[in-house]
Order: sequence, then C-alpha cells, then structure tokens
Amino acid sequence: MQTPRFIRTLSGRRLDWTLAAVAFVVSMLPVSALLPWTDDLARLISVPLAPVTHFGMFLREQVRPPQAAFDPSAPETVQLEREVAQYRMLYEQSRLEVERLERSLASMRAVSARVDAPETRLIEASVIASDPSRRTGVLALNAGERHGVRAGAAALVDGDVFAGVIAPNVGSFSSSLIPANKLPSIGARIFPPEGSDPQRPASSYPGAVLKPTGRGTWTAEVATSLELAPGMVARLADDRYGRAALGSRIGVVVSVEPVEQAPLARRVEIRPVIDLDGLSSVVLAVPAEVPR
Amino acid sequence: MRWSIYIVAVLLAAALDASFGSVLAIGELRGQFLPAVVVFALLAAPRKIGVRLAMLAGLVADLLAPVVLDSQEVLVVPGPRVLAYALGALAVIQLRSLLYRQNPLAGAAATFAFSLLAAVAFVFLFSVRALFLDGGAPWWPGSGAGEVWRRFLGAVGDAVVALPTLWLLGKTRPLWAFTTATRVSPGLARQGR
Repeated sequence: MQTPRFIRTLSGRRLDWTLAAVAFVVSMLPVSALLPWTDDLARLISVPLAPVTHFGMFLREQVRPPQAAFDPSAPETVQLEREVAQYRMLYEQSRLEVERLERSLASMRAVSARVDAPETRLIEASVIASDPSRRTGVLALNAGERHGVRAGAAALVDGDVFAGVIAPNVGSFSSSLIPANKLPSIGARIFPPEGSDPQRPASSYPGAVLKPTGRGTWTAEVATSLELAPGMVARLADDRYGRAALGSRIGVVVSVEPVEQAPLARRVEIRPVIDLDGLSSVVLAVPAEVPR
Repeated sequence: MRWSIYIVAVLLAAALDASFGSVLAIGELRGQFLPAVVVFALLAAPRKIGVRLAMLAGLVADLLAPVVLDSQEVLVVPGPRVLAYALGALAVIQLRSLLYRQNPLAGAAATFAFSLLAAVAFVFLFSVRALFLDGGAPWWPGSGAGEVWRRFLGAVGDAVVALPTLWLLGKTRPLWAFTTATRVSPGLARQGR
C-alpha cells in the first residue's frame, strides 16, 4: 500500500521544521487563545501521573521530612505552641474584623442590611506536584471542584500561615495553588512578635502593601511613627483573600531601612514564614462566596 | 528505538522532577531527571529523530510547568520548552561524534550543554512573549538575567543528576532497542585480504 503523499512530504527534517514552527506559533499565542484549552491538555498529562507524583512526594518526605519532624521539643509542647499560634491568629483575625466592621459601620447604617459572615468550609489538600524548574512555582493540589474547592480560596499551613490562593482554573479533581510570593500585592499589617496590645486599636499598627522582590521575600514602604524592628510579624489584612485568612501570618520582618525620598517612611523586607518547597499539604478555606 | 519506552521514561522523569525533585536542590542549584533521559536517548537514537524526541519531552515539561499571570490566573504555554529542547538536542547531536559515550562524564557534559542551550532559548522565547504579548513570564517578579543565572546553576545540577541517571538508564538499554549502524570503511587490513 502506498503511503499518502502528505506523509511522504512531511517527514524527516521537514517534519522537524513544521513541528518547530507550530511550537513557535503556539508559544506566541495570546493568553485568550491559550487559556480555553491548554489547561485541559495539561490535565491529560498531570492527572494520570498523580500516582507517580504521590509516590515521589512520599519518597521526598522520607528523604527530607518536614522541618517540624526535627523539632526537639516534646509533642505536648509542640501541640501547645501550635494552639497558641492558632488562637493568636483567631484573636488578630477578630480584631482586624472588628476594625473593618467599625470602618464600614457608618456607611452600613444607611442601608439596613444585615451582614452575615459567610460560612467557611475547610478542605485539606495534598500537594501532588510543584513546578520542577523553580522553587516558587505553582503547586498542584489533589482537590478540585468535586471536593468543593473554589477559585480564590485561601490556603493556610500550620493553622495560621497564609500560603497562597487557588487559581481560577479549578479542575474536577485537581487545582493549582498560586504561592503567596507570586501574588502581585498583599495588604498586611505589621505587629510585634508577641502579638498586639489589646488596649490599642488594631488600626494603630502600621499597614503595608507587600510587593514581591523576586528573591523570595517581600518589600514594602511603611509610613508610621511607630518603631519598626526585625522580628515583627506581618499578618494578612487584605479582604481579597477571604475573611478566613484575615490575620494569618505572612512573614517576618528581616530588615528595616530608611527611605531617602520620604523621611517619614521606612522600607521593610519581609521573609516568608514557611518554605513552600517542603510543603506536603495545605488547608483551603473556601467561603460560600469567594471575594473577587 | 522503541518510542513507547521513551514516552514512559519521559513521563516518569517529569513526574519525579515535579515531586521528588526538590530533594535534589541545594539553594538554586536544582537538578532534574528529564534532561538526562532526553540526552540518553539523543546519544543512542538515530540522528534523524533526535529533535522530535527532545520536542516531545519539551512538550511534557511545558504542560507540567504553568505560569502565573498578572490576573492571578494560571496559564499553560505549550511551546517554549519544545523549541528550547529542540535547540539543546541539535547541540547534543552535533556533539555526539566528539563524545566517548562509554565515559560517564561525557553524558554529564552533554546534559550540561543541552540544559544550558535549552535554558537560554527558553528565557529568550519567554522574554519575547512577555515583551510583545500579555506578560506572564515564569520568573516574575525576578529578572530575566537572574533567570539565566539560575538556569545556569540548574544546568550544573542537571549534569550532576545525569551521572547516576545515565548509568541507571544504561542498564535498561536492551529495553530501548536502539539500533546502531556502524559505517565500515575499507582500510589497509581489509585491502590486504
């Protein structure tokens, strides 16, 4: 049987050039042309590979266990510290929530609408894969729409550490987590390491918009008369990432420098609390209606 | 060469890179298994299919490494690594005749060359894309120059990982069914018969 003509024409070096041309054209397509189909194409590869990546993650945890496993403290102490951190987060969360409500109360009085805090559903998801070419890439999670995961849901680690948000394209059984240091900006409030003073209003603590530096840290210019020092804790104060994540820890201040152009402001550098590279699972806080 | 074995090896290597790979990282120096698998095939498979082999691996690598956009969406761009791996493959195919393939360091050197060229091509393509289209470079918020340096370290890591990987893949050589055609040229000994 004779081979069809187009196959004979499209072979050898000509086929290589054709494939290269197709690859070049596809790689130069705009986002709107790629978004509808490439994610599904990627799932065709990533979903069947999930058992292998699970096994790889299991091996990784055996070879390099999470940092907590090396904690020399007794289990009871570790448990207590964790609970303290969680309650501190809840405390800061409620204070920030109170502050937010107080701010909007005046305008809300005019509209006799009742404000109901949306119910939040917690979903635990395992990290099944990370971007192999970089430390701070997108993480693939083994929970998707069928498990109740929604786009924009905040991911928390160790109960009170903000890890990132779920990307809009959520699959049926998998989803992608955009790490916190890949988000273009995060609204935060900087507190002393021992927590805030209950006598002082939460709004008196300096607020900052954290911008990623590209070195795995954030930087922000903070205009405040308060003393800023390394070791202070930046907590999430950004409604875009859901109320459940409000008050969660983002990072720790590692340096404070003056800003020449603005004598009253100082530039702080903030290091993330957790290293996403060693992350094996996250808890997703999925509100009934995810804020956009 | 058996394509099915190559596809399975590429998928396994990509899956291990995405999960177990972070164990092999020392700071920014991070080795991957996938380049070693591609180079193993390139050093033994017929030259005419070399570029296609690399392109397939590049496609798998592209599909498993999405990019975060400014709009906080995740985008998979199939293409940049396809072209980058093809360029790396062209270099390895050219180097092939110069390498003494039984030497394990030769495979590591070929992997280094492959990864480095692929990295430069990848950064160039994504820079062009980010410049003329709607942004979303995978190294954001870092710079392109920083990415080249990071990928240079990555190429060193790939070469280190290639040493045991190529040795291990060498043990599976009968499965791959490589056919080697050795050109016999008449010499003095033959002419004397």
